[in-house]
Amino acid sequence: MNAITRGIQGAIRSPIRAGAIIIMLAISIGLIVAMLAAKAGVENKINSVKQSAATTITVRPAGVMGFGGGGNPLTADQVAKISKTTHVASTVSTLTDQLGTDDTNLTPSLELGSFGRRLQRFESSGSSSSGESAPQLFSSSDGESNANRPAPTPRTTVTGTTDVNSVAQNGGSLTVSSGGAIDGNASDYQALVGKDLASKNNLSVGSTFTAYGQTFTVKGIFTTDNTFQDSGIIVPLATLQNLTSQAGAVTEMAVNADSSDNVGTVVSSIKSALGSDTVDVSSEQQRAEASVSSLSSISNLATTGVVGATIAAAVIVLLTMTMIVRERKREIGVIKAIGGTNVKVIVQFMTEALTLTVVGGIIGIIFGIAVSGSITQGLVDSQTGNNTNTAQRTGSPEGGMRVARGDFAQRFGQFGSSAQRGVEAVTSSVTPSTIGIGIGLTLLIAIVGSALPAWLIARIRPAEVLRTE
Amino acid sequence: MSIEVENLTKTFHAPGGDVHALDNINFKVKTGQFVSIIGKSGSGKSTLLAQLGALDNPSAGKIIVDGEDITKLSGHKQTVYRSRKIGFVFQQYNLIPNLTAIQNVMLALEFGGMPAGKRKARALELLAAVGIDEDQARRRPARLSGGQQQRVSIARALANQPAFILADEPTGNLDSDTGQSVFKLLHDLSRTHNTTIIVVTHDLDIAGKTDHTYQLKDGALTSHKR
Repeated sequence: MNAITRGIQGAIRSPIRAGAIIIMLAISIGLIVAMLAAKAGVENKINSVKQSAATTITVRPAGVMGFGGGGNPLTADQVAKISKTTHVASTVSTLTDQLGTDDTNLTPSLELGSFGRRLQRFESSGSSSSGESAPQLFSSSDGESNANRPAPTPRTTVTGTTDVNSVAQNGGSLTVSSGGAIDGNASDYQALVGKDLASKNNLSVGSTFTAYGQTFTVKGIFTTDNTFQDSGIIVPLATLQNLTSQAGAVTEMAVNADSSDNVGTVVSSIKSALGSDTVDVSSEQQRAEASVSSLSSISNLATTGVVGATIAAAVIVLLTMTMIVRERKREIGVIKAIGGTNVKVIVQFMTEALTLTVVGGIIGIIFGIAVSGSITQGLVDSQTGNNTNTAQRTGSPEGGMRVARGDFAQRFGQFGSSAQRGVEAVTSSVTPSTIGIGIGLTLLIAIVGSALPAWLIARIRPAEVLRTE
Repeated sequence: MSIEVENLTKTFHAPGGDVHALDNINFKVKTGQFVSIIGKSGSGKSTLLAQLGALDNPSAGKIIVDGEDITKLSGHKQTVYRSRKIGFVFQQYNLIPNLTAIQNVMLALEFGGMPAGKRKARALELLAAVGIDEDQARRRPARLSGGQQQRVSIARALANQPAFILADEPTGNLDSDTGQSVFKLLHDLSRTHNTTIIVVTHDLDIAGKTDHTYQLKDGALTSHKR
């Protein structure tokens, strides 16, 4: 039997006390592992969301949001400057417009509804060809007369773009259910028609319709699973610019940086080149960071938890071992009196501490793995719950106004909400490195917790053995 | 192997002033002698034993063992001295409570540097020599009588064939018969193994049976006249 064997034997000398200490250590170490797993899971999610946010940056004229707001579209010079900005890999330009019933022979497939009517209540021109009357709801409540105001009419949205995929809802490719795509860089009169609009007007591939006094040929029917989008038309950017007499005008640009690391630089460069009062620049990465900000606080909370639980466990070991050393002062004196060196006694007592900590650690790691999922979900629920409530209270634009903001805004709005849903779907991540860190901290706890007792042991005089109690 | 004490002084510094527990003590013990030191409680008996056993360092003076002053040894060498040349027997036995009798003896053998493979046989041999059978050898101290525990303690003291055995009131916690039995064991050891034994006691009956008795009074040592 050597010092290590005696230490292991000493650890279970008092089974009840050893059991109590092991349970306390197991809870602390379990908490450490659960917090580490939560932190790893949250950080994985943060990285995943940031990665998925990719490199896309959105540039809009200041004050313009879909069909809302005001201001001037981006000019051809501004578009060229953006395209030539360092680290810009590619750009997609978009101009949006709306067709009234006088502008086209198409019947809008989107119902106007009270929301649409309210948005048109200030307009001074329009058509009443749809036969709808001005809504009494607003005329009475606003206290305004609608005698000189045309009746609101549903509109058909036209998107002119250099890349039809920019209309896709999922950030991927646009789904063309029949026919083929159009060339966004052309200037001809070919169009993609949303499935709802096509259905309403009995359009199919090869059909024609008129808009802006020109005859367009339906090249394909697209579907996006979004009613607003599926009620619109996509045409080449230059075609729409020409027909609306807005040469070179763009209401939204999707800019792709050459690397996710350069997104911030590109955003700054565009703002600097065009002036932040001229353009509104935002990146998906920024949106992603905003979406995962709650996760960052969970990560910080988990780190605090790990540190707190480690200190608590070290204090448990320290107090326990100090108590044991004081209780067994005479025994230590005996060992020294019969020839035991300080090193041997310290090794024996550190082994005792290590045994208790390791047993507590094994139970704690198993316990931590078992509860890590619940703890992670609890932390995420509490954080995202707080954020959702805050967003609802402040009327966050992410939660509403999607129709008024137009297609890109809608797409980004969807990104925001999907990121939020993704944030809520965090799972704890128990990896070998998590367990490795857990084991490392367990050993650290044993060593730190034994340091003071070891010092006390070294100070005990062998003459202690002759003390009569 | 003899032990020679020269001008040994031990002074404790207390708030009420210095206490001279040992005051300029001189004596010599020859190899194989069985010597007793008697004195009242607080006379300095245990303090003297602590100096002889290198458990504590004196304030002044020398303790010469085989021509070497043990008070000048480093802490590590004093530990080696204790493990190889000294065997302790205590009034309260001081066995390690969670180790069996045999493990307690093996502990001293480990500190004495005996190879692990030989310790158990040697421990059993020592325990048998002091009257502890194999069944008792496998018991923990709590399951042994006081006399049996003191026998185990003596076996532990003998483990590394020490030159001296220092015994602090070895019969103090035992009844008269058991005390006599333990004393006889120590006495026989000094005769058969030529081991020097210094026993501190207040039992004059036991002291009377040793080769020489010293009396300690107020820190001063005098040779006791019978």
